[in-house]
Amino acid sequence: MINTKDQEELFELVSKYLEADIECYALGGTAMMFYGYKNTTKDIDLLFQTTKEINTFIKAIKQLGYKERSIKGIYPEKRLKLKSKPIMFTRGDERFDLFLNNIFGFNINENIKERCYSRQDFIGTKELIIKILSKEDIILLKAITGREKDFEDIQTIIEQDKDINWDVIIDEAIIQRKHKEWILIDLEETMKQLKKITFLPSKLFKKIYAAEEKM
Amino acid sequence: MNVITGTHTIESVAKELGIKKTSAINVISKLKKEGKVTVSGGGRQKRIYKISTTQQMKTNGFYDLVNKYSKEKLVPSFKHVIHGRYTIEQAIIDGIKIGDTRTMEATTYLFKKITNWKRLFNLAKKNKVETQVYNLYSKARKTMKCRRMPKRYEL
Repeated sequence: MINTKDQEELFELVSKYLEADIECYALGGTAMMFYGYKNTTKDIDLLFQTTKEINTFIKAIKQLGYKERSIKGIYPEKRLKLKSKPIMFTRGDERFDLFLNNIFGFNINENIKERCYSRQDFIGTKELIIKILSKEDIILLKAITGREKDFEDIQTIIEQDKDINWDVIIDEAIIQRKHKEWILIDLEETMKQLKKITFLPSKLFKKIYAAEEKM
Repeated sequence: MNVITGTHTIESVAKELGIKKTSAINVISKLKKEGKVTVSGGGRQKRIYKISTTQQMKTNGFYDLVNKYSKEKLVPSFKHVIHGRYTIEQAIIDGIKIGDTRTMEATTYLFKKITNWKRLFNLAKKNKVETQVYNLYSKARKTMKCRRMPKRYEL
């Protein structure tokens, strides 16, 4: 487990060990911590867009004593077969899950980049720029994983923030459907569960069904 | 504690929660310590409290720097937080990278505050925006009083 302050200090430290400026995207619990939705996370999820950037980051964390470990047992078995699985590095309780280009088939497209909520610049010897995904994209990513912990995280976001644009979430899922066949079904399942605790208008479900039929 | 969000004064917090004004001050104080309140006003002006359910992120990046020095103020399109040292030169490059007309216009004012031309041109070279930097500088020179760029950096 790592808390908000430790996470920021860790990024500051990593930026001092970088050999080049790099840019990445914070997902999941890490992004939620930057929003202030929660105070601790099990793992730091980051997405890089180039091999050069991910290698620069790995080189820096290796110098700090992080070691690569297998992702078996952490993610569901079916995901381990995917090409876009993460590389995992641990040091004690702290864990980095590093993705390259996409997250289990989910692409970070221009719309997602434009929607980014915040940019955190950690300026050490070199610059580590971390962009934080919007709350809508965090929810979508968590909605399609099917892990109990992720559903709890969505609940946490919804309880604290009433201003969620569900249309953005569904529109993005429709775009991602081209690469990820099950995305709309997974999203609909999560939304059905959420309907028990929050109000979700039926027009949102109709939009999903209409999109799924078209495909 | 009852949840209260939005823009409030002490009186409106007291009214909404059905408590005394002194208790409302205590409520605000507790939320402030949790980082969930930003305050504006004070002195002659009435204090207005913006209360949110999550901790409010304090920004100190590009938009704060530009809005400090530029006559044209910008509404941030993202929250920019710096951990470390952020310079005027880096802000100019960020302004060019954001790239919309209004941001560029506001960024020109930063040329008044440049102290390290070498840093600016090293950054411009790294980000491949030398021409844009020079064009923005030329525009700044025409429209406002700002420092002259050393000749060796002119394109």
